[in-house]
Amino acid sequence: MSLFEILGTLETGFVFGLVALGAYLTFRVLDFPDLTVEGSFPLGAAVAAVLIVAGANPWIATLAAAAAGFAAGLATAWLNVRFGILHILAGILIAISLYSLNLRIMDGPNEPLLRVDTVFTSLQAFGLPGYVVNPVFLGVLVLLVKLGFDAFLSTGTGLSMRATGANPAMAAANGIDVGRMKLLGVGIANALTAFAGALFAQIFGAADAYMGIGVIIVGLASVIVGTSLFPSRTIVAATLACILGAILYRLAVALALNAGFLGLQAADVQIVTAVLVILALVGQRSGGTLFRIMRKENRA
Amino acid sequence: MIELSDVHVTFNKGTPLETKALRGVDLKVPNGQFLTVIGSNGAGKSTSLNVMAGAAKVESGRVVVGEHDMTDWPVHRRARLISRVFQDPKLGTCEDLTILENFALAYGRTRPRGLRFASGRPMRRDVAERLRMLDLGLENRLDDKVGLLSGGQRQAVSLLMATTGETQLLLLDEHTAALDPKTADFVLGLTRRIVSELKLTAVMVTHSMAQALDTGDRTIMFHRGRIVFDAAGPERDALAVEDLLALFRKSQGEKLTDDALLLG
Repeated sequence: MSLFEILGTLETGFVFGLVALGAYLTFRVLDFPDLTVEGSFPLGAAVAAVLIVAGANPWIATLAAAAAGFAAGLATAWLNVRFGILHILAGILIAISLYSLNLRIMDGPNEPLLRVDTVFTSLQAFGLPGYVVNPVFLGVLVLLVKLGFDAFLSTGTGLSMRATGANPAMAAANGIDVGRMKLLGVGIANALTAFAGALFAQIFGAADAYMGIGVIIVGLASVIVGTSLFPSRTIVAATLACILGAILYRLAVALALNAGFLGLQAADVQIVTAVLVILALVGQRSGGTLFRIMRKENRA
Repeated sequence: MIELSDVHVTFNKGTPLETKALRGVDLKVPNGQFLTVIGSNGAGKSTSLNVMAGAAKVESGRVVVGEHDMTDWPVHRRARLISRVFQDPKLGTCEDLTILENFALAYGRTRPRGLRFASGRPMRRDVAERLRMLDLGLENRLDDKVGLLSGGQRQAVSLLMATTGETQLLLLDEHTAALDPKTADFVLGLTRRIVSELKLTAVMVTHSMAQALDTGDRTIMFHRGRIVFDAAGPERDALAVEDLLALFRKSQGEKLTDDALLLG
């Protein structure tokens, strides 16, 4: 791998770090397996791209994308909380609806971002090439989001969210509106995902209706790989592990596709993803032997 | 003060599994009273506790606490005035959170939870002071996860958590049943002490007739969804477990078969 490729991998790794934080919030904190992200990732991309092409400030367009993602998460959680629809099914229903909605928003299957200003255009003021300054910017951004996320989870509301996932009966008995916590949490997770989608579209110069496929697995893979390789006993450590997991995961995919002897091509990325997740899960299940050996070697 | 008037509860209504759990329960617990509740399995004692807490929906009847008609209030809304200790020590506390964080949740019942940090230094001092009365050394383990504590320690913590803030009514759902006898005695003694110190209104469901008569100042017995026996004052003081069993047989006109009532 060249330096250029490694920096590119870091760039996408950081973007998916945001998705991983969202997956951590839904799967681990709230115990609400949320599949909405398959639709909210391209939703964020579509909203940001359409607004940017229409001449909006790219930063405002990116924040609008996050708001749209929040609304999508709210819709899923509402179906679950208000009507008792199974969380996984609620997520699939909203993700499917978002597929149509995204086609409508973009008035077609994609929206190119050619010769328009994106959030990355303004970074050129630093005088460094984009492939250097972009990963640095994204790294700082993800770190700031992580710190905010950690702080939120130690506030009264954040603590209530953790109790909601860990012990709903106890949470309710202590005056926590469990339904409201689910609405807020799934909303925040999808806002993060849509935010990531908006940044992803601006890196690659287009929003695409199909770019959401496999996002849920990427987020989950990052959480599983990260929290099994790195210490994750406290929230602060666990969120860092998720982000590192996202980077490692992107690195693993890039290496797999780069290894000429495997004969893999770009089209194989989804199956590579699935195989990596399966390996991580099997590794965890078999007592984490593989990971324990790796960790021991790391320490030595 | 809590008052149930003509409360009916039916589970699985309209299915072959339909069960009438409560059939017309009238119960008034005045302020400061410590009520103990006994009855065989399925008699309705736990259901009536769930009705008070809001965890079981009533089919008809009213639930009033103080001046509030709570019949349609969800659990979390009632939590401001009513707190609860569960039978399972794992249910009353959150094992992934630290002792301090668990208390922060409990304080949140009566104080607004917002975006401020959940546990500040004043709370830390306050919690340490409350834990000191347990004499278990837990005041030095505020940042330990509750999952590391034993069942008895967790139940004692649950009890302290349930009695923070402006709790008016304390519900105890066989909260010593899952503990070994020595620990059960400790938790029961602690319960008596806290209830009398804070002058709480309390309702304790128990499987043990002896415990029911030794604790609190009034005892009721459920059978088949109704209250069949209600004693307080000198009448109750004169009762022994054997009398209670005899009364039970007499009022029901049937042989008592549930061994659980004889235990303890």
